[in-house]
Amino acid sequence: MIFPFPKSASAAGEGHIVVKLLPHDVSALESITYQYPLKLISPTVKATQRSVVVFLLSYGGGLVGGDQVNLKIDIQPFARLSIVTQGHTKIFKPAIPGTITRQQLSVNIQDGAALCLLPDPVQPFEGSLYEQTQVFHLNGSASLCLLDWVTHGRAARGENWDLLKWTGRNEIWFKNQDTGLKDRLLVRDTVLLDGTSESAHPMPLRETMHGHAIFGTLILRGPLTQSLGEFFLAEFSALPRMGAKDFRTAAEKEKGTRQCALERWRTSRIQQEAQDGVLWSAANVRSCVIIKFGAATVEAGRDWIDSMLAQEGSLRQNFGEDALLCVR
Amino acid sequence: MSSQIRDEGHDEDTAEVEAEIADLEARLKAAKERLSRSSPSNPPSASNNNDNNLTRPPSSPTSSQHFLLLLSDSALPLGSFAFSSGLDPGRLSRPTSSPYPFPPTPPPPSPFVLAAYRDPAAVADLDDQLDAAIICTVGRRASIAQGRALLGIWERSFVSSSSSSASSAGAAPVAAPEELFHFFCGDSNDRNRPSNPAPRLRAPRPLIRRRVRPAGLTLPQTAYVFLLSHAKAVISAAVRSGLFGTYQAQRMLASPETQALITAMVAREWDTAPEDAGRASLPWTCGSGGTSCCIRVFLTAS
Repeated sequence: MIFPFPKSASAAGEGHIVVKLLPHDVSALESITYQYPLKLISPTVKATQRSVVVFLLSYGGGLVGGDQVNLKIDIQPFARLSIVTQGHTKIFKPAIPGTITRQQLSVNIQDGAALCLLPDPVQPFEGSLYEQTQVFHLNGSASLCLLDWVTHGRAARGENWDLLKWTGRNEIWFKNQDTGLKDRLLVRDTVLLDGTSESAHPMPLRETMHGHAIFGTLILRGPLTQSLGEFFLAEFSALPRMGAKDFRTAAEKEKGTRQCALERWRTSRIQQEAQDGVLWSAANVRSCVIIKFGAATVEAGRDWIDSMLAQEGSLRQNFGEDALLCVR
Repeated sequence: MSSQIRDEGHDEDTAEVEAEIADLEARLKAAKERLSRSSPSNPPSASNNNDNNLTRPPSSPTSSQHFLLLLSDSALPLGSFAFSSGLDPGRLSRPTSSPYPFPPTPPPPSPFVLAAYRDPAAVADLDDQLDAAIICTVGRRASIAQGRALLGIWERSFVSSSSSSASSAGAAPVAAPEELFHFFCGDSNDRNRPSNPAPRLRAPRPLIRRRVRPAGLTLPQTAYVFLLSHAKAVISAAVRSGLFGTYQAQRMLASPETQALITAMVAREWDTAPEDAGRASLPWTCGSGGTSCCIRVFLTAS
């Protein structure tokens, strides 16, 4: 008997999200497909929502050795999408040594459209082998907010950067609408954590992480994240210089703190940063703003990014409260 | 010969053959030079007299050795004074007792150096990719400033000697410095316009390669001198910030551990594609080695 249906084109771990703009400026899903071990969930569209929210899940909350997730996202002109998760993405140790667990994300953002990708951090367990590649193609006026962060493992089990290898690559491309011209690479940020013996460094990985339990990268580009990028750059330049001494007397410091609300917030944030071992930097790289941060505990890292995003507030305004679920 | 070089594969065997070719080429050139110096049409000079002197050392330094020595000069604007590759902030934020002051991973540009050497035609594209991978304000600033300084040096000092060796080695003609400058540095107004997403390239880094090959350096030599310069830059930054003294710095540079580390890094990066060049980007090391090294790439090329 001849099978009457076309052959299934689906492959394990594949997913595809298409977001479009409905009348009255409401973003909605045009299509959403996924295959085990990837799972995508989107709450019902509300007329008041500022962006479509999609939960990016994996069965059991983690990826085991050899899992391959391959997600493709298309955001049509002026539509907005927020992607969140429901907890750390756990990366388990592979049963067969040498099996690499992979996640690939390929995103196309059209003119005026935007993606806010603020997931929970990736948590690589002891002995895990993981590769993540996220490639974003942006049209001229597309916007992107991307957070990519990784923790030191299961602290409760005494893990502290005991992973075997973690490779994360983020690429931002500028799409050339003129035919015949190649797309232009704007930013390529590759993070390599190598705990294998092939590592050229003689010290164990843990000792090269300088006491950080988490570290992350926030990449911003486009009109919808412009004010946030400017905010980070301004806060970064307002940081006291490393190694600088504060020569003010207690009375002068007291006077200084009685300034405007932003300065009060900044002063207390800087104190908190010192207490939590938060280190961060911001740089403008070819019209993208890139923030790198690390913290002595996972919670401190989350609190820090939350306080920065909440203080500035434009993400919440542009994408809605739910987009920030994972950083709270 | 040049086509042989251009078609070389990326595996080690080919690199060895290439090393041999470069070596033979350099020897041929040296022999030709000796011949022309001893021919009667040339005016007599000190070297000419020397040539007939039986006490002349049997092996005179080749042109490649000469360039190798030039490239390892710490007085060239390699970025070592402008950028400590993350050492300063790292030391201030977390005093370390690490015996290895330089960053744990090889400087990200090293795969770019290797790639530029293997395919000189891709230099502009590689430079663009490298610029996209420098994520550090200080590093970017150093890259631009030092790259321009290097261009100046190249234009004023190196170009004449390189063009003669390039033509004799049959290498592709090197672009005029002005063209390269405009190509790599672009128009500054252009860069500041927010609508322009990708400002023109900044530091002219992998240019190096263009100069290296005519200069007769082999790929392993290029990679080694590049990483050695990086080690020197970071150790020099450590000396300047008072981490240790000059004797200890020299001891560290001369130590077998440093040699082994550089050799291991060369081996590790040998097959790394530029797009996989990465690092553990802790906030204070982000871009570690990034820019100063890119420049060094350029430098290596010069």
